[in-house]
Amino acid sequence: MLRKEQNDLLTQTGPNTPGGRLFRSYWIPALLARELPEKDCPPVRVKLLSERLIAFRDSEGRLGLMDEFCAHRGVSLWFGRNEEGGLRCPYHGWKYDHTGQCVEVPSEPVESGFCKKIKLKSYPLIERGGVLWTYMGPADKQPPLPEWEFALVPDAQRFVSKRVQESNWLQAMEGGIDSSHVSFLHRGELNTDPLFKGAKANQYNLRDSRPVFEVVESAGGLYIGARRDADEGNYYWRITQWVMPSFTMIPPRGNHPVHGHFWIPIDDENCWTWSFDYHPTRPLTDEQIKAMEDGKGIHVKYVPGTFRPLANKDNDYLIDRAAQKAGRTYSGVEGIGMQDASLQESMGPIVDRTRENLVSTDNGIIMARHKLLRAVKALMQNDVAPPGVDIAHQRVRSAAVVLPPNRPFIEAAKEALTVQDGTAHASV
Amino acid sequence: MPSESTRATSAAEAVFRIAAPNARPRATKVVALDRPSVAVVGRLARSPRPNTSFLTIPTEAPAGDGAFSVSGWLRDLAGHAKNLADEIAGADQVVMIATAGENAEAASIIGEACSVRRITTTGLILAGPSTPDEALSRTLSHMRPWALMLVVASGEEYIEDMLTALRA
Repeated sequence: MLRKEQNDLLTQTGPNTPGGRLFRSYWIPALLARELPEKDCPPVRVKLLSERLIAFRDSEGRLGLMDEFCAHRGVSLWFGRNEEGGLRCPYHGWKYDHTGQCVEVPSEPVESGFCKKIKLKSYPLIERGGVLWTYMGPADKQPPLPEWEFALVPDAQRFVSKRVQESNWLQAMEGGIDSSHVSFLHRGELNTDPLFKGAKANQYNLRDSRPVFEVVESAGGLYIGARRDADEGNYYWRITQWVMPSFTMIPPRGNHPVHGHFWIPIDDENCWTWSFDYHPTRPLTDEQIKAMEDGKGIHVKYVPGTFRPLANKDNDYLIDRAAQKAGRTYSGVEGIGMQDASLQESMGPIVDRTRENLVSTDNGIIMARHKLLRAVKALMQNDVAPPGVDIAHQRVRSAAVVLPPNRPFIEAAKEALTVQDGTAHASV
Repeated sequence: MPSESTRATSAAEAVFRIAAPNARPRATKVVALDRPSVAVVGRLARSPRPNTSFLTIPTEAPAGDGAFSVSGWLRDLAGHAKNLADEIAGADQVVMIATAGENAEAASIIGEACSVRRITTTGLILAGPSTPDEALSRTLSHMRPWALMLVVASGEEYIEDMLTALRA
């Protein structure tokens, strides 16, 4: 459980909140690059950390992310004309460049210089790894550009998607570090999903539904090791990476691509679930990309033309009780992504953590909250940059390994838990 | 599903959650396995936790002929002898605290007793940034067979948060 004031601290991420300041310490994913596919394409409305913004790519290809509303009379610039190096409000023709600087106010004499006095709040927006990233903190604290491995591999080796999740970011993220649910909620998919099936280690998951956990602090967050019995007295370890504030990398299965998530607050009751798959040494196959586009693995099918999942709370996630009864799915909801999201959204927009009853196997979640609270405190009181800002903290990998019973995973898998250029993940 | 009177989730629906308690208090035993951990447990015991007992184990060699008995083996923080079986008989969870590099072999005695009674055990190892890998490995190897969950934490303030989270 958390006290109410602790829960508020971690779940509120709007401007001028402690949790908001934490998120504003990092480069965070804002849009898929394909949402702004070309120069002068239509602008896109973006809400991040409870701030309404507009993103656009101008005539020279420069990316802009700024206050959504025209400084004149508050019109949404989503209706704007993206042309000739800026975004023009269609109401009275005020025009803004990619930094939010007003460059034209047609009603005022050019000589008056009035437009120079008008500037919308804006944030840097950069493209890396098929994702447009922004940093929403103070300019003098801007960290180096993100160096997550998935974002640095060639485009053909990566697939990235995002979906709206109708819950606070923290309960979504906590699902990502709760390894013990896999043997229940996702057990139907381990041997059927094309992005999971066929791995030798799946049998260990299915055979041993009571994993034992070890949680170890890392420089950027946590290693969460789940141990199951393997063959010949050895242990099968699945080691998840959590890097603050909301990055997780799930341990690989066989030679399948490796996947993970970011959970980024839209506002306090909604978040973006970003999902990536990549392979460090080879292109993804056409079959794998097709499967991801079809909503397999950790990706989802969408309501056409949106990033809202096709199975959503308005249609009870298309629950199929017959499939649940027959054991084809454990919860009746299809797909790993929506199996998670449906349960996390069912908790309510912001789960009341004063009423929960955690158990020993929830120590990964308990430790993550502890580290988040500690980081917020250090940031607010002493202006200490939180873990995960340092790019060394981002050069991490998850791993799946079989080890003798007397070998600590943190020692035996040390190399496997950091990026090794030109080599694949340690996997079983 | 027209017969259902509520739909999935919304902030408005959330206010109708039943406010009655959904769990009874849990009895927790926190056991320090080595001398440095005794000081940690002593500090933890200053916070009011009515359903939690704080215990230590003797770190000196057994007196007399050296024969070991779990009867009266544990101590409370005032130094009174406590019987292991009695202590864990009413426990819902047992938390064992060790310091990396220290001898944590006592975990096997407590762990085995808990295992027989199907009581959940959590192992918590305090390891500073300069703790050598081999010191941590040694303590881990003592505790691993006997803890359903093992946590390696860099600071003792984590234990306080963990106990609160576990409603200890």
